[in-house]
Amino acid sequence: MTYQVSVFLENKLGRLEKVTAVLKQAKINIRSIHLNHTANGWGILNLVVSNPELALRLLNEGGMSAALREIVVVKMADSPGGLDDLLKGIASAGVNFTNAYGRVVDDGGSALLVIDIQDIPDARIKLGAIGFDIVADSQVYGV
Amino acid sequence: MYWEKELETIDRKALESLQLDRLNSSLRQAVKSPSYCRIPEINKIVKSGMTSIAQLGELPFTTKEDLRQGFPWGFLSTDKKNVVRLHSSSGTTGNPTVVYHNRNDLQSWANLMARSLFSAGIRDTDVFQNMSGYGLFTGGLGFQYGVEKLGCLSIPSGAGNSLRQIKLMRDFGTTVAHAIPSYLGRLFEVFKDEGLDPRQDTQLHTLVIGAEPHTEEHRRRIEELFGVKAYNSFGLSEMNGPGVAFECTEQNGLHVWEDAYVVEIIDPLTLQPVAAGEIGELVMTTLDRQAMPLIRYRTRDLTRFIPGPCPCGRTHRRLDRIAGRSDDMFIIKGCNIFPMQIEGVLLKLPEVGDDYRIIIETIDDQDEMLIEVEVKKQWFTGDLDFLARLENHIVRLIRDEVLVRPQIKLVEPGSIPKSEGKAVRVFDHRQK
Repeated sequence: MTYQVSVFLENKLGRLEKVTAVLKQAKINIRSIHLNHTANGWGILNLVVSNPELALRLLNEGGMSAALREIVVVKMADSPGGLDDLLKGIASAGVNFTNAYGRVVDDGGSALLVIDIQDIPDARIKLGAIGFDIVADSQVYGV
Repeated sequence: MYWEKELETIDRKALESLQLDRLNSSLRQAVKSPSYCRIPEINKIVKSGMTSIAQLGELPFTTKEDLRQGFPWGFLSTDKKNVVRLHSSSGTTGNPTVVYHNRNDLQSWANLMARSLFSAGIRDTDVFQNMSGYGLFTGGLGFQYGVEKLGCLSIPSGAGNSLRQIKLMRDFGTTVAHAIPSYLGRLFEVFKDEGLDPRQDTQLHTLVIGAEPHTEEHRRRIEELFGVKAYNSFGLSEMNGPGVAFECTEQNGLHVWEDAYVVEIIDPLTLQPVAAGEIGELVMTTLDRQAMPLIRYRTRDLTRFIPGPCPCGRTHRRLDRIAGRSDDMFIIKGCNIFPMQIEGVLLKLPEVGDDYRIIIETIDDQDEMLIEVEVKKQWFTGDLDFLARLENHIVRLIRDEVLVRPQIKLVEPGSIPKSEGKAVRVFDHRQK
């Protein structure tokens, strides 16, 4: 199982930096970042990090509201149409997601899509069943 | 079962005749003060003598403004040499309100306080930690004298310094503690930070909470956090301080000690008595104070009588928990709103923390109410939709309660600034 760390943030100067300072202090590397916000002055920060369990504990201890959410990271081609091909496959697997974000990988040809599957039953199994290239934890976390 | 069985279970007829006797001597004492001696209605009734409590309705009210006008000695009914203590409000908004006591006054106050504590099941075998500010604030010395009168081992720890409070509790096996309700949530956090659980790591069985209006939901939360019974204490410095009304072990309303006070509840606008069981402003007359009797004092506190007898057998009527203060009410879009109504809605929701702020602003010439609400950490799942739904849910619940649609803003836990002393919940930034 692969996890991202999600953090509740008020839309105020310096709040994001409060999170990154905690991670820096603990030498936790950020692999992907995705920031959501609502019209009501708050939002949720999603992070893929090198050690999600440690990040969760330190952020909670630092007084922030943080939680782990299950993700699946799938590989696609870093070329025009790569995401389109991937999405066709995801739709055929019957996985309806609402939160995802991407990242290019420096290996000369592939990109990654991070999909929040916390509330989608059996998403990982369904995606695996149709032959998706699901990225292993060690590669996701970069450890 | 009772501290003073005869007085506490006295039948209503006998209580009224006791009140009438004491009221007459109280009035005779009151007209010795420079302020009351100028009031013709009081002089008149002192001459003829009152023959029924109902005649009290013919006398004028005394207000906080009257006390300020009379500052400093206007309401003193005895020679200064007989006075042994004064208590005073902070006076940040004008002259402070000062109340004087002679030796008898302090003794009867301590007795009312001991009677109150006894009714909540507290005994001389208890170790009582008073986490209340000492000094001019009555919650310190008021409790202190009552606790000593009752015979508990008292720990006058004073307010604040949570680490020391916890250490005292553990070192001396505190079984009962008194604090303002907004402090106890903070104290619990410190217990947690220290890796302690007050349910296991202390011998507490009872908390006494007061000096701040709070809801039943808030009380239940405190009881759950500490694993104890929490009893509601009501008082105000003008009527001595704590010990005016107190919950018995039934926890259903606060017996107001009618041998010491005549209690009326009036409509704050018409100044007429409200119908039985209706909410209105509490008006009190002292029956047992010599240095400074007060007649028909308007407390500004809103409450009602709880109808019917109490199973505990005490015949002194019960006041409902304070629903707010007539001064706390704010009017927005033509609706009268009490902060307590909003707290009642918020604290029913398990996701919501104990601290909140109501901010009233003028936006585009419209009055808007913004409520900042903390979401408890354990409810945060990282799911944006869940929080957005919660926000909408709170908007609907509050609109249904107060008829004004609020804006709800979720904030990070712990981000609402804690106030020292009594919690300040309402910030009115409207252009006046």
